[in-house]
Amino acid sequence: MGFIRFKRFNRFNALNPLNLTAWLALIIFGAGAMAGALGIVLGLGGGIFLVPFLTLALGLPLKSAAAISLSTVIATSSVVSAQRAGNQLINLRFGMVLEVATTVGSLLGGITAQFVAESTLQRLFGVVAAAVAAVMLGRINRRNVILDPTVDPGRLGGRFHEEESGGIVSYRIKRLPLALFASFIAGNVSSLLGIGGGIIKVPVLNAWCGMPLRAAAATSALMIGVTATGGAIIYYGRGDLQPLLAAPAVLGVQAGSWVGARVASGASVKWLKVLMAALLVVVAVLMFMRSTQ
Amino acid sequence: MNRERSGMERLETTIGEVLRFGTITSSTMFAVGLLITVTGYQPMVAQLLLGTGLIILLATPPARVVVSVIEYIREGDWTFVVLTLIVLMALAGSVVAAYL
Repeated sequence: MGFIRFKRFNRFNALNPLNLTAWLALIIFGAGAMAGALGIVLGLGGGIFLVPFLTLALGLPLKSAAAISLSTVIATSSVVSAQRAGNQLINLRFGMVLEVATTVGSLLGGITAQFVAESTLQRLFGVVAAAVAAVMLGRINRRNVILDPTVDPGRLGGRFHEEESGGIVSYRIKRLPLALFASFIAGNVSSLLGIGGGIIKVPVLNAWCGMPLRAAAATSALMIGVTATGGAIIYYGRGDLQPLLAAPAVLGVQAGSWVGARVASGASVKWLKVLMAALLVVVAVLMFMRSTQ
Repeated sequence: MNRERSGMERLETTIGEVLRFGTITSSTMFAVGLLITVTGYQPMVAQLLLGTGLIILLATPPARVVVSVIEYIREGDWTFVVLTLIVLMALAGSVVAAYL
């Protein structure tokens, strides 16, 4: 009897840490899948949903959550851009110019994150989550295209096949300094909070810098990979990026985006946008409450 | 102009290949590593796979930038060679900041 009890106890102890790891991995995978699917359907990265889940629900420090989220941003960027490569929607030249600003921004953001208190990061996340909610609801879509394909798009502009008109269209870039500034801020916020930063750049590029929305989104999707890497490297070196937690998040986001891409096409997402904007406002409030504890 | 366009198209294709290779390799390592972790056998192998997968994931976007530098050098587009090198230097700055 005593022997059996001992054996049971022993077995329980031996399995428990494994179970815990497996459960945690499974939960993170599920959270990643939800965030990835929502991201694809709503046209934003999943990080804005993944980070609050990891911190508010699982209790991870914001720095670890941001680091995990950044690795999913890198994976999403690479997968999406690999699929799009060849259709000329990605503006490689303009993207590279803006990457100068995003990578410098993410370098400075990553360094800042090491010195800033957890509560400050939480408040900043709250502000950004509320701003994202506002941008999501009021998103504008300027067409910005020149229908004549023979027009010179300039050194930074581009040309692509537009579905609406069924032909090749051009666009020119305006207000480069503003685009650079928005990219710098996006890179900074990306490193500090673990989001891609597309939600900051894309509306600016579309509304003021002359880029059609799809070209801006595709170019931003490519840029966020290298931007997130700048931040992720710093977290990795400082021991905040655990492979065991990053792996299920990355796989989850990929699975979620795959499913989301198949569900999203054609479906109306207006009610979902309102719902998720409300959720982000709740996230903002929770982050503020957490920061005062 | 024409030559420049074809260069950009070639670069886009190469970038696509680099990104595809990086994501497939890292995701496969993550999946196998996690499965081994869950079974509890060979924890060292699992750690090695997860760690290497993460490094490959982090190395993929910089690899894309390196490919771009090579293409811009081939085209003799020195403005973009310089811009691309600045991006690489910022990434190197992250490595320095990580271990300083």
